[in-house]
Amino acid sequence: MTDELNALAGAYALDALDDDERAVFEQHLAGCPACTEEVRGLRNAAAELSHLSEAGPPPELRAAVLGAVAQSRPLPPRVPGARVLPLRRARATALWQGLAAACALIAVAASVWGYSQHREAQRAQTSVVQSLLAAPDVRATTTALKQGQGTLLSSRSEHRLVLIARGLPALPAGRTYQLWLMSETGAPVPGGVFRPDEHGNVEVPAAGNLDAVDRMGVSVEPAGGSAQPTLATVQVLKL
Amino acid sequence: MTSMWFERSGASHSKAVPARTPEDLVAAAARGDEPAFAELYDQTSSRVYGMVLRVVRDPAQAAEVTQDVYLEVWRQSARFDSGKGAVLPWLLMIAHRRAVDRVRSAQSSMLRDDKYAQLHTERPYDSVSEQVQTSLEAQRVRRVLDDLTPAQREAVTLAYFGGYTHTEVAELLKVPLGTVKTRIRDGLIRMRDALGVTA
Repeated sequence: MTDELNALAGAYALDALDDDERAVFEQHLAGCPACTEEVRGLRNAAAELSHLSEAGPPPELRAAVLGAVAQSRPLPPRVPGARVLPLRRARATALWQGLAAACALIAVAASVWGYSQHREAQRAQTSVVQSLLAAPDVRATTTALKQGQGTLLSSRSEHRLVLIARGLPALPAGRTYQLWLMSETGAPVPGGVFRPDEHGNVEVPAAGNLDAVDRMGVSVEPAGGSAQPTLATVQVLKL
Repeated sequence: MTSMWFERSGASHSKAVPARTPEDLVAAAARGDEPAFAELYDQTSSRVYGMVLRVVRDPAQAAEVTQDVYLEVWRQSARFDSGKGAVLPWLLMIAHRRAVDRVRSAQSSMLRDDKYAQLHTERPYDSVSEQVQTSLEAQRVRRVLDDLTPAQREAVTLAYFGGYTHTEVAELLKVPLGTVKTRIRDGLIRMRDALGVTA
C-alpha cells in the first residue's frame, strides 16, 4: 500500500472515482487487505451520512418494489469454484508485483484517466494499460506539457508503453499528434498518430525496441503523420 | 408474587425477541422470504430513498433508482457476505453507486448543468442543514460533520450528496486534485473514528 494509491480510499468509499479509476483501485484492493479494511470503515462512515437526508419514499413505491421482487428470484449463493476471478491466475502474481512497484505511479495514471467520456474505446485501452501494469518492470513518469500533461507507462522487458495524455489542445483539421521514440543517439523513430477526445484526453499504446530509448516525443504533424518530427512542435516526455 | 414473576418474565421474554436485524432479514430474503424483505424495506427505505433523492434531486428518478436498488439487493441477498460488514452500509453503498451512476450518465448531462448552476446558490451541505433533523442519529452525525474542517466537510458532502467525482470536486473548489483526495479521506477518517464505525 502506498500513500498515493491509498489516498484514493476516501474517494472510492464515496463513489467519487470514475469507472477507470475505480477499476484500477479495485484491482489494488483485491490484493491489499489494509486498504480493504480502511475502505470498509470509510464506507461505514459514509453510510452514516444518509441519516442527514432521510425522507420517506412515496407510499406507492413499496408496492412497486415488492411487486418486482415477487417476480424475481434471488440469485443462488456463490459456491467455491464457481467464483469468477477478476484476473487470470497466471498473471495475478506478476500483476501484483507490478502494482507493488508502481502503486504510486498508478495513482498518477488513474487521475489522468479521469476525464474520458469514451467509455467503450476507453475500456479497450484500459485493458492495454492493465496488461502493461502486469509487467514486472512497469514504470510510470508524468510530465507537464505546454498544455495538459502526459503520463508514460512503460515496460522495457516487454518493449511496450502507453502514453496517457490529458488536456491536450485541440488541433485544427488536417493536423494530428504523433508519437516518437527518442534516444541520445540516432534519429527519432516515428510512432503512431493519434487524436485526443474532446477533452484533450487520450491513451496511446505503442510498442518497439526500447533498449536505447529514454524519451518519447509528441509532435503535431500533418494528417497521416511524418517521417521526421516537426521540431518546433515536439514536446519530450522522459521514460 | 407469582404474578409479578410472570410479568417480569413476560417483559424480559418480549425483549429477548427483538425486531429482526437487517442481517437476519437479508438471510431470510436469500431463501425467498418476501415478508422478510418487506420488513427490510420498511426498516431502511427512508434512509435509502432520502439519500438517493438528495443525489438525483428528482423524486421520480429517485423512486426508480430506489426500486432498482431493492431489486438488486433482493437478487444479491444470497451473496451478501456478513463477514465483510453489515447490511446497511452494503445497501447504502449499492444505492449510492446507482444514484451516482444515474446523475453521471450521459442522459443527465443537462441536469448536471443545472446542478452546477444550483451549486452556486445552494451547496449540498447547506441544503442538508435546512432539513428538519429530529432523529438522534441525525443529530449525532451532524455534530460529527460539524467537527470536520469546513474544507473537509465541503469536499465530503459535495462527493456524497452532490455525486461529483473527486476530479469534479477539485474543479468546483479550484483546488488541486491531491488536496481534494486528502480532504475527503481525512474527513471520512475523522467521521469514522468519531462515529465508532470502524470496520
